[in-house]
Amino acid sequence: MNLTVRKREESLGWGVLVVYLGALALAFGVCALLLTLAGKPGLGGMLILFRGAFGQGYSLLDSLTKAVPIFLCALGVALSFRMQIWNIGAEGQFALGAVGGAWAALTFAGLPGIVLLPLVFLCAMTCGAAWGLIPAVLKLRLGVSEVITSLMLNYIGALLLEFLVFGIWRDPGSFGFPMTAEFSSGAQIARIAPGVLGKLHWGVLACPLAGVAYALFLSRTRLGFELMACGEGERVARYAQLPYGFLVLLVLGLGGALAGLAGSIESSATLGRLQPTMLMGYGYTAIVVAWLARLKPWPIAFTAYLLASFRVGVEVLQLELQVPAAFGSIMEGAILLFVIAGQFFLSYSVSLAHPVVAQAKGARP
Amino acid sequence: MAEASTKTPHCTPRADIGCVDVLPQVRLCGVSKRFGRVLASDDISLSIMPGRIKALLGENGAGKSTLMSMLAGRFRPDAGHIEVAGAVVDFDSPRQAIAAGIGMVYQHFMLVENMSVAENVLLGQEGGFALNPARMRATVDALSRRFGLGIDARARVGDLSMGERQRVEILKLLYRESKVLIFDEPTAVLTPPEAESLFAALRSMSAQGKAIVFISHKLEEVLSVADEIAILRRGRIEGEFLASEVQSPAELARRMVGRDVVLDIPREPVQPGRVVLDVRGLSGNGLGDVNLSLRQGEILAVVGVAGNGQQQLVETICGLARPEAGTVELLGHVWDEFYKHRDWDGALAWVPEDRAGLATCRTLDLTDNLLLTTREGFTRGVWLDRARARAAARDIVREHNVQPGRIGLQAWQLSGGNLQKFVLGRELSRRPRLLVAEQPTQGLDIPATEAVWQRLLDARKSTGVLLVTGDLSEALALADRVAVLFRGRVLGQFPVTDTAQVERIGALMAGLEGGAL
Repeated sequence: MNLTVRKREESLGWGVLVVYLGALALAFGVCALLLTLAGKPGLGGMLILFRGAFGQGYSLLDSLTKAVPIFLCALGVALSFRMQIWNIGAEGQFALGAVGGAWAALTFAGLPGIVLLPLVFLCAMTCGAAWGLIPAVLKLRLGVSEVITSLMLNYIGALLLEFLVFGIWRDPGSFGFPMTAEFSSGAQIARIAPGVLGKLHWGVLACPLAGVAYALFLSRTRLGFELMACGEGERVARYAQLPYGFLVLLVLGLGGALAGLAGSIESSATLGRLQPTMLMGYGYTAIVVAWLARLKPWPIAFTAYLLASFRVGVEVLQLELQVPAAFGSIMEGAILLFVIAGQFFLSYSVSLAHPVVAQAKGARP
Repeated sequence: MAEASTKTPHCTPRADIGCVDVLPQVRLCGVSKRFGRVLASDDISLSIMPGRIKALLGENGAGKSTLMSMLAGRFRPDAGHIEVAGAVVDFDSPRQAIAAGIGMVYQHFMLVENMSVAENVLLGQEGGFALNPARMRATVDALSRRFGLGIDARARVGDLSMGERQRVEILKLLYRESKVLIFDEPTAVLTPPEAESLFAALRSMSAQGKAIVFISHKLEEVLSVADEIAILRRGRIEGEFLASEVQSPAELARRMVGRDVVLDIPREPVQPGRVVLDVRGLSGNGLGDVNLSLRQGEILAVVGVAGNGQQQLVETICGLARPEAGTVELLGHVWDEFYKHRDWDGALAWVPEDRAGLATCRTLDLTDNLLLTTREGFTRGVWLDRARARAAARDIVREHNVQPGRIGLQAWQLSGGNLQKFVLGRELSRRPRLLVAEQPTQGLDIPATEAVWQRLLDARKSTGVLLVTGDLSEALALADRVAVLFRGRVLGQFPVTDTAQVERIGALMAGLEGGAL
């Protein structure tokens, strides 16, 4: 029996949905299997996860709150992925943003919110951008792969944050816990409606703003076009005299600024202070999100929310079944692998060789 | 198969071609193949006789490659069948076709450069664990002598010229005792003298009973080498002739495209204007002391076999590589100054050889591909005026007759010729005063070639054209002057009217004259 693989001439239409749902189903299947192997109820565990993620109004709002940093970081990395620059340093840029924001919040604690918050954001974005620019400069000057440098800077960024909160920025009144003093009220982002909307805060507004800016930048500006064209390859960039070096600086700088903004929103709204527990791997989830969403803004928003819900669900799973926290990463990884494998069926059709038409409609990765 | 046998009348389209009393080595009977909406082969019947050279002549996209791929076992026909030595065969893979004695020499050679000729020929054919290098060499040398290929079995393939490598590919097929040898555009990579010796080898092989199929769209070489000519057009056999029946290349061309082709397009002289390109003593980066000068109103053809410095010369002129030694002046500015304040408009335009991978982005639509080199013209502040770009793309598509004329199509969806017309249209829309055109008609069919040539001649009125080409007839048809490049050096530069010099071009291209060796 021979399989023949052929490039699709027409797009799948509704088949796309089948492919994605099939891939998700398989990923959950693998996760259920892992639970079973660990001696937990597989199917039951997945039900707990789904109930935790989507079961109550509270969990939906919690997911939305968690989706904010993921979405912002994902936009940032998607920007550089567009031109085939593999920025996987969102986690570090997120940390540096939080550090920069905390510096402003702690230094100018007395200022009113209307001045202090923008200052916090500005410092956060500057620090995140600077952190993003390090791999850019190393790549352009020395030809170092941005994959390695941006990844390593994640660890440096996280350690820098810890160094500060364990050391000079530690709150004397924290009973030895590694955290800064609570930010003054001027440096905190208010919740929208504490009783009704849970932890949801005004920082969520950054998402539509950044999303629209991202979409407009790519579709309407000359730089956005140049960036997209650069993504087609360096040879084309050279032929068309595209400002490749400038664009590398731009995408890594902007990506860092977005991740940095996310970092300061997370510390100013959700926690109200800087502490190491804020580094929950949002920057890594963002890479998964950007990739799953094929770098498009609406799908990024949707996927960011989806993966945030699974995080919420996994938290419930952790409580109820005592599965390790790493289970969340395993699940993200499984989803990424199955969806990317499934995307093969969007571009190719597979059929048995001799029987005239035996089109596998792309449902099974 | 039952259906095919009812079509028996198609099996013998012309009884007087080939020898009726000799069994054809291979017979295609009513073979059809469809790709989506395109009928690439339409009820084709063809006999391939031992001891004869059959040329398959057709434009790009006429279905030559599809037909031969079915013969070589890469596709299976939708209808009809193939017979080898009278027996119906059904190939699942190229391996089976090779086993049945059908071998193909592709345009891109499949050789291991670090191995010797003998090792390459026997690769995968050793027939045992232990090797006997002396016997391998002797076998290959004997084959080479028998068919007059003149290849030393001990030579390292990496040291061989393209023509010699091609003959190694032929040796591979001969060693496998192929009875039918198919050549896909074999002269595309050869110098004229090398092509001549290939033809001699083809004649020698056919004299020893091999059936040869020669795919080409070059009329002269088909006439000089083939015994029989089959013309393919839009997937159908348009006609089959004995070479001796054909009166002139023009007649063949007419049959091929179905209308008269002006191969010799009228060229009215244009008064040369100011110097737009002045290259003096350009050296380094594979070039040696290159001197060229080009005026507005002129076409200067740089000819040579690929890989003799054309790429380096073009990349230097077009701003990708800084001159190492010597000076390059563009529109009166030295290189550094010109590229510091590069104007997208009214300056230099470049039609690169690689139209699908360099001049355009495969997955961008035509509007975005237009913007690739003209985006400065559609910018307002930081914004890009896509509506105006779409209108401009539509104009180019209309003016240059790009088919299909939908600007929403992505570059890969256009055929090579139409993509080239679009690229040329885009570059001309920049109103260049210096136009660099690299292999502008390579792989194009005759109508597209004509269209491109006409555009280049028209462009002369406002532009100096540097035409870098490996196609001598193109150079002679278009250019005012010709410069021959060999190993990074200009071996000769003369007007095309200088017939004595023009005669020497083939020898210069091969480095046989001009003090290069």
